[in-house]
Amino acid sequence: MSKIEDVKVLVETGKSKKVAAAVQEALDAGDKAQDILDAMIASMGVVGDKFSTGEIFVPEMLIAAKAMSKGVDVLKPIMAGDTSNSLGTCIMGTVAGDLHDIGKNLVIMMLESSGFDMVDLGVDVPAEKFVEAVKENDNVVLVACSGLLTTTMPALKEAVQTIKAACPEMKVIVGGAPVTQEYADEIGADGYAPDAGSSAAKAKELIGA
Amino acid sequence: MIIIGEKINGAIPSTAKAIAAKDSEFIKNLAIKQAEAGADYIDVCASVDDDIELETMKWLIDIVQDATDVPIAVDSPNVYTCIESMKYCNKPGLFNSVSLEGDKVDVAFKVIADTKWECVALLNSDKGIPKTAKDRLDVFTDLMAKCKEYNIDPSRMHIDPLIEMLCTSEDGIAMVTEVIREIKKQYPSIHVTGAVSNISFNLPARRIANQAFAVLAMSAGMDSFILDPLNKDMMGMLFATEAMMGEDEYCMEYIGAFREGVFVK
Repeated sequence: MSKIEDVKVLVETGKSKKVAAAVQEALDAGDKAQDILDAMIASMGVVGDKFSTGEIFVPEMLIAAKAMSKGVDVLKPIMAGDTSNSLGTCIMGTVAGDLHDIGKNLVIMMLESSGFDMVDLGVDVPAEKFVEAVKENDNVVLVACSGLLTTTMPALKEAVQTIKAACPEMKVIVGGAPVTQEYADEIGADGYAPDAGSSAAKAKELIGA
Repeated sequence: MIIIGEKINGAIPSTAKAIAAKDSEFIKNLAIKQAEAGADYIDVCASVDDDIELETMKWLIDIVQDATDVPIAVDSPNVYTCIESMKYCNKPGLFNSVSLEGDKVDVAFKVIADTKWECVALLNSDKGIPKTAKDRLDVFTDLMAKCKEYNIDPSRMHIDPLIEMLCTSEDGIAMVTEVIREIKKQYPSIHVTGAVSNISFNLPARRIANQAFAVLAMSAGMDSFILDPLNKDMMGMLFATEAMMGEDEYCMEYIGAFREGVFVK
């Protein structure tokens, strides 16, 4: 098995203590940092799919992401200054009136693992704050809004419409327990993902990556 | 969390029958099943007449060792039987058990002192089973003095605080949990063990009472369990409780045991 394959298996199985060494071994064996990163991103894609189909559970996804971040730590110094491998910046937050962050954090983790630079606005984020973040950050390609309560669905609508009014070209993705594809369409969002596992694939699709 | 599989014990009628009939397949099957269910030790107790106890132990241990790599808990009320049975084992296991009755502890500790064997110790003495938490802890203090004398690290000890039937208790399990807590406070690396099913003697629906006990005892610090590992409800309860106590990072043990079918019917 090639060193890169080792890294992939370790990420998929969440062996966070062993990943760093395996990444270093792959580098020593002559693999390119970019190829190793791509392999890990692909592994997280597999993990996301397995989560979406119910084959694995949230902690297993968390632990895989943790393993990947240990691997990324090894690659960072090598890839520093090279922004060509980023898919761009994604702004994410839970909408006004909603304090849930577990789902949001999972999505942030999955998007980060798939190559986005994430800006986390936290919870209870007013619509205008999303717009400000789009303007303040470089290379923003996507805004992700989550809402976990039926009572905050109107706030989700307001967030999407405020962002769209201010930045018509900006892609917006939404999600959260009560949200459906129909509701996402209705409020003018560009995309919707039913869970964190599928959020990365959908986000990449939206930006044409 | 340490699971000591209790099924190869002549006190259990079906096992007694198999021992009497020299039914090695039955014993082998119990060993394999318990190993597959996640037992960390397989307890072997002959529960036969003294004159055939040792040969029965050897017969049982040989079958278990042929069937699985799980270490053995040599189990007899007779300390000399345990000592002799150790010689049949191909790797260090669990000495089950000593207490402060007579010279048991000296006889056993002399033998296991410089080995990797672990040891179950019951908190009773020549005065019988102490009635209060304080008296049991006094026995514990004496026992730990013996450990020190023979240079046996606390982490090799499994202290059995003596679980008695709930139905005649005046305070539920408050006394025994107090003992467990204090033991763990004094020696964080020590194990606290017990025969979980003792709690439910003379009660209906024993399985439910056993589970309730396991959860509360674990919360007090019990981390070693003498039980039937094939009881999936109980095993699930133990893994779930361990996770609730924050001793299972990302619930990986729980999920792993679930995947291996340890507690899924």
